[in-house]
Amino acid sequence: MQEGSCQDNGSHTRDHAAPEGGAGSSVPDAPMSAELAPAARAPLYAARDLNRCSGLLALSVLLDSSVEHYRGNFHNKAMYTPLSVSTLSLAASVHGVTGRRPLGHKTRLAVFALAIVTGVAGTLFHVYDIIRKPGGFSWQNLFYSAPLGAPSALTVAGLTGFFAERVRRGQTQVFGQDAARLAAITSAVAMVGTTAEAGLLHFRGAFHNPFMFLPVAMPPIAAGFLAYAGITTPRTAYPFTRRLLTATSLMGLAGTAFHVYGVSRAMGGWRNWQQNMVDGPPIPAPPSFSALAFAGIAALRLLGAKAPNGPERLGATKTGATGAVPRA
Amino acid sequence: MPVDFDSRPRAVAGRAPDVFDPKGGFVPMRSYDEDEAVDFVIVGTGAGGGTLAARLAELGFSVVAFDAGPFFRPLLDFASDETAQNSLYWTDKRVCDGENPIKMGGNNSGKAVGGSTVHFAMVSLRFRPEWFKSRSALGYGADWPLDWREMWHYYTVAERALAIAGPVHYPWGPKRPRYPYRAHEINAAGRLLAQGCEALGYRWAETPLATVSAPRGKSPPCVYRGFCRFGCSTNAKQSALTVWIPRALKAGAEIRDLAMVGRIEVDDQGLARGVHYVREGKWRFQRARHVVISAYAIETPRLLLNSATDRFPQGLANSSGLVGRNLMTQSNQAAWGRMEDQVRWYKGPPSLTITEHWNYEDRGKDFFGGYCWMGQGPMPIEWVSVQTGARGLWGERLRTEMMDYNHQIGVKMVGEMLPDEANRVTLDSDTDQYGLPIPRITYRWGDNDKRLIKHALDQMMMSLDSVGATKLFRQEDDTNHLAGTARMGFTPETSVVDADCRSWDIPNLWICDGSVFPTTGGVNPALTIQAIALRTADRIKALAIRGEL
Ligand SMILES: Cc1cc2nc3c(=O)[nH]c(=O)nc-3n(C[C@H](O)[C@H](O)[C@H](O)COP(=O)(O)OP(=O)(O)OC[C@H]3O[C@@H](n4cnc5c(N)ncnc54)[C@H](O)[C@@H]3O)c2cc1C
Ligand code: SF4
Repeated sequence: MQEGSCQDNGSHTRDHAAPEGGAGSSVPDAPMSAELAPAARAPLYAARDLNRCSGLLALSVLLDSSVEHYRGNFHNKAMYTPLSVSTLSLAASVHGVTGRRPLGHKTRLAVFALAIVTGVAGTLFHVYDIIRKPGGFSWQNLFYSAPLGAPSALTVAGLTGFFAERVRRGQTQVFGQDAARLAAITSAVAMVGTTAEAGLLHFRGAFHNPFMFLPVAMPPIAAGFLAYAGITTPRTAYPFTRRLLTATSLMGLAGTAFHVYGVSRAMGGWRNWQQNMVDGPPIPAPPSFSALAFAGIAALRLLGAKAPNGPERLGATKTGATGAVPRA
Repeated sequence: MPVDFDSRPRAVAGRAPDVFDPKGGFVPMRSYDEDEAVDFVIVGTGAGGGTLAARLAELGFSVVAFDAGPFFRPLLDFASDETAQNSLYWTDKRVCDGENPIKMGGNNSGKAVGGSTVHFAMVSLRFRPEWFKSRSALGYGADWPLDWREMWHYYTVAERALAIAGPVHYPWGPKRPRYPYRAHEINAAGRLLAQGCEALGYRWAETPLATVSAPRGKSPPCVYRGFCRFGCSTNAKQSALTVWIPRALKAGAEIRDLAMVGRIEVDDQGLARGVHYVREGKWRFQRARHVVISAYAIETPRLLLNSATDRFPQGLANSSGLVGRNLMTQSNQAAWGRMEDQVRWYKGPPSLTITEHWNYEDRGKDFFGGYCWMGQGPMPIEWVSVQTGARGLWGERLRTEMMDYNHQIGVKMVGEMLPDEANRVTLDSDTDQYGLPIPRITYRWGDNDKRLIKHALDQMMMSLDSVGATKLFRQEDDTNHLAGTARMGFTPETSVVDADCRSWDIPNLWICDGSVFPTTGGVNPALTIQAIALRTADRIKALAIRGEL
């Protein structure tokens, strides 16, 4: 199902026919050969995929920080910042997803840059919140003080949006590095970071449900393969890595369901939702795995487009669907 | 609160209350005939009796466990109201005397299925290993006939069964396995204790607690409302009522609530035959092959003494004359103060952090034994009684002081008091509502006890001072947990029971609760009582296999 939300899922034929594509100077008008057109369009598709991911991440940050900072009573005015910045990032991402022009956009770029900076500042705030308490970097403070890893989700949302901007303009380089590789490696690293966060919190929950091991075990494997794809010579298709990423994204959604169930196990269950949504397992958290997996899949597509034998998606989408899910 | 517990037992007709059912349902319960000699009758269903009932039933023995108190349904019966919860305590008539009479009631004894653990503070600590050899290793008290390594194993089993939420690394004592659940978030009072310790250069830790920090079975995670010592209305607390009793019922034990055992009957061969008990206003008799008493440090010796016969005129299991002697309580003094910022110490379980520094440090002491101190969070009425009792405040001054409730902080000790034969439980001529002679409890603090208390109070005051608390004062009089009165030991002359909790005098009479402690250590006793009960169950099984029961 992630294919529908974050990947064009073979719908390129429809996009392909869209008239506004003509505005893109890099895409030749009129009769395009079946081999050429998707390759040439790949940057736009990939950019929009990346924007879907940055948007999903921003949404996850928005919901999560709203709940958590509300729980913290917004005792510091700065605690409103991630709410507004993630809202902006979400808007910029939506704008990116709906925009069909293969051009960069200054405001979007600025918003994503702001998200990157906010995420970094948030991390520093959270570090400070931990070290000022007795025990400093202790398990107690890592468990219960401001979560160390959470603000970086905003940074990753910003970075993903930032890459999208570059890729959309047809740039193959970001920060002097190859954009496709960088996108793959960034998602992989972020996925490991998210795993660490999930691991910490599930450890706090004493892994009381065996399923709690899944988000600690699976994403690092997917991230490993994704990072490997990012550092080796691009190939036309990455069926196995794709499957792993698809599974990871599904796991993220299943995680939400588990957290909904987790809330029901607290005293009063959902009848006492006002308290239990705040104190129970964070419902908006697991989809960040999905978002990062989508970003990884988008990165694979970019890599595929660079492969000597043509775009990865051609190989993978012959049947219309990616073929990843059914043939797993 | 539901009414009329005294007359209407709930565990009857093959079913017992399902403590986890918010609608007041029941679980099936096996029932035994009174004429059928069950393998074990257990008197008392608290830390000792509840644990033993579960384990013996799981090991295949037939078990009937009696408790004088009601079978509560925490989800339905428990109110968030200090006074409404008085029904949890053993407040029957007693005489307390001696130089330092012990105040009996909520602070030290429960009367309910689940015993005192229903309203205990959940602090679950292990003994320092040397305490099992206090006399030979540290020069005071008496040695236990138990090896600390074996106890270490049973502590682990108990901690798993209770899903203790504790720190990832416990800073004192030999290595122990990781606690099954992670420590709870500490509240402001707990943090101030930590700051105080850091200022004094002592280590501190999150207190290992028997309340879950994440869901467990039908127990929701703790909601940090702090009513723990008045019964936990969510079942987050892992008490005998929520852990061992359900296990016992599942394994086929019968629980008889509101059933007060008044006498153990002994036959001509000098063996226990069963117990006389009163339920629904009628005296009854249950036959048994073995009788275990787990009624805690006052009621256990009282029952033994009340069961005297011509053959055992001093009471049962009392050839040593030690039944009722060596009663110990623990010193529970406190230092209190006021912080400029709000603390709101009532949030969460009362003792979220601890320092066991003076349990493990022997240098610089002018006394034997050890103590720890923990964060505190008394509820308002409790706090009033400290203000009126320890400070003698009244009227307008009391009112103004109470306005500071949210700013108050405090630390309270659990200190080791030494065994003394003169501290004891005897029978009084007065009788209770069942017509049974009531216990007389005689207590005096020894010089060592007083030195330990003074040391602890000075230390606790320093720790409060170092975090900037003002208006400091000492609460000098409090005591809490009980132990002793039927000590275990190496010989029939110097103890009441052996290492297996089997009485020396009557081979089918056992005592398994806090009364078997030869010394009481500087930590709360319930985990040790449960570890002993776990061991006793295994020993009984082993003896049965060898035909030595
Ligand atoms: C307020 C409070 C807080 C505490 N906090 C802690 C803590 O944090 N940590 C800790 O380790 N310990 C704590 N304790 C102490 C701990 O609860 C007790 O040490 C422990 O429960 C004693 O276990 P037991 O089996 O010996 O007796 P109990 O648990 O008291 O059980 C004895 C049972 O026997 C029943 N009984 C007695 N006589 C008869 C009879 N004749 N017939 C039928 N039934 C009878 C009673 O009704 C009672 O239910 C606390 C105690 C109290 C009161
Ligand atoms: S604070 Fe936790 S353990 Fe204590 S009564 Fe409330 S839920 Fe139960």
